[in-house]
Amino acid sequence: MPNGFELLQSLINGLGVGLVYGLIAIGFCVIYNASGIVNFAQGVFVMLGGMFAHTLLTRLGLPMLAAAVISIVLVAMVGVLVQVLVINPMWQRKAPLFAIILATLAVQLLIEQIVILTLGDQPRTYPEFTLGGPLKLGPIAIGYQLFWILGCGAVMVVALQLFFNRTRVGRALRACSQNREAAALLGIPVASMLMLSFALSAALGAAAGILITPTQYTAYSVDGPFGINGFIAAIIGGFGSAPAALVGGTLLGVVQAGAIVFFGAGYKNVVALTILLIVLLFFPNGLFGGWGKRV
Amino acid sequence: MTADSPSPALIEVNGLAASYGHVAALKPIDLRVEEGEFVTVLGPNGAGKTTLLRAMSRLIASDGKIKFKGRDITGVPTHRLAKLGIIMVQEGRGLFSEMTVQENLQLGAYGLGGSRDQVEGRFEQVFRLFPRLRERAGQVAASMSGGEQQMLAVGRALMAGPKLLMLDEPSLGLAPMVAAGILDTLGELNRSGLGILLVEQKAPQALKLARRVYILSSGYMRAELPAQDIKSHHDLARYYFH
Repeated sequence: MPNGFELLQSLINGLGVGLVYGLIAIGFCVIYNASGIVNFAQGVFVMLGGMFAHTLLTRLGLPMLAAAVISIVLVAMVGVLVQVLVINPMWQRKAPLFAIILATLAVQLLIEQIVILTLGDQPRTYPEFTLGGPLKLGPIAIGYQLFWILGCGAVMVVALQLFFNRTRVGRALRACSQNREAAALLGIPVASMLMLSFALSAALGAAAGILITPTQYTAYSVDGPFGINGFIAAIIGGFGSAPAALVGGTLLGVVQAGAIVFFGAGYKNVVALTILLIVLLFFPNGLFGGWGKRV
Repeated sequence: MTADSPSPALIEVNGLAASYGHVAALKPIDLRVEEGEFVTVLGPNGAGKTTLLRAMSRLIASDGKIKFKGRDITGVPTHRLAKLGIIMVQEGRGLFSEMTVQENLQLGAYGLGGSRDQVEGRFEQVFRLFPRLRERAGQVAASMSGGEQQMLAVGRALMAGPKLLMLDEPSLGLAPMVAAGILDTLGELNRSGLGILLVEQKAPQALKLARRVYILSSGYMRAELPAQDIKSHHDLARYYFH
């Protein structure tokens, strides 16, 4: 049985990972609500964020901020490419939704292979954004990176809320999520909005990947676990508002961390999938039932 | 352009045809609406009325030609029609039901860009026509009554400053008094110069407002005649089933 401090330490660590799941979940929601598509390539954006940032830091020697910004822009462009080359042609040909969703899975595998061939298959990491940690509170150690994740996560959620509720384009994106035909009839370019949703979602994934890499590692294979956990977090949040997705991710991260302490690391995914099944069985609309305005 | 109209029609459709798979829902038809004219398309259930408006709005693929003020707009995508001044109010209203009245109206003005003064002016216009919408500005669209939702659908369309307003059965599901109020407003808008193409099943009210009437049945355009020539249901039935 773990003592209280061990448990608290683990839960704090889980909070950081959970917030990252939350950001990935928001990415899922942005695309799903704009198009009805569950983008299973979402985890790829997280992996690419970390990989690009690492490459820019180590090979080009860029400072962290520049590497992060350029990586986010590059991954957003990858998101746009996925939409333009794969999703849009299928969308225009009125392909069934399940076929488009399967195509996103194929995109994930394809990008994984491209990363192995170009950047290699070895795991890599880079230092925390602020060196000199962790912050010690008695027996509890809190890495500075957790504060970066908390801060950036909060800023991104607030920025997204403002974007979706206060800007013309943000409202148009929400309109597309509710009634695409009506949106088009009012002059909203629905195809461009779908492209924007992919760019936004990819950028969120990249930011999540850049933030989490210093606390663990990144490699071509991290996309799967991050994608699945982000998807579970999105379901817990009900594919609704950004805060709901973030809360869903945080809950998942913290519960997983608790499961590791109580049952061992092997049970981490068992617990995550059990939570998924419980939510699907008893709360099919998520714990928050689509609470709040959709993103 | 017709022989007795020197300027091009507001909208002119030639040989418009549409199908769902192998089922031809709309056989090649011709139709036109002059500037500032009120035209009604009447037809029974399944006549192809909604298909006609969806084809004209480019929501579904179709054959034939569509001209707007003499310009061929056949290949123009749906979202560009609003900027030209063609707005359609869908059957079932097509509201953004999780958004507020204010947000729905703001989205109606999407094509105006960021011009705040113009948008404010349109808000005032719409609120003057439908004062109820001003009272309900902060309310979510889904929580309003059917009549209020229809007001919002028409108000939202007006936010775009249309030259041609196409409406698909706006009276559907409304109490007769409420439907009459909506149609009266459409008459008022038409008197101020707005071209209106109204698709309806309920003949009496639609006939009172229209100058010309098209009669559509089983996907065929059966007749085009002045509204005053239809005096009874018997006249209509003759066209529906001939």
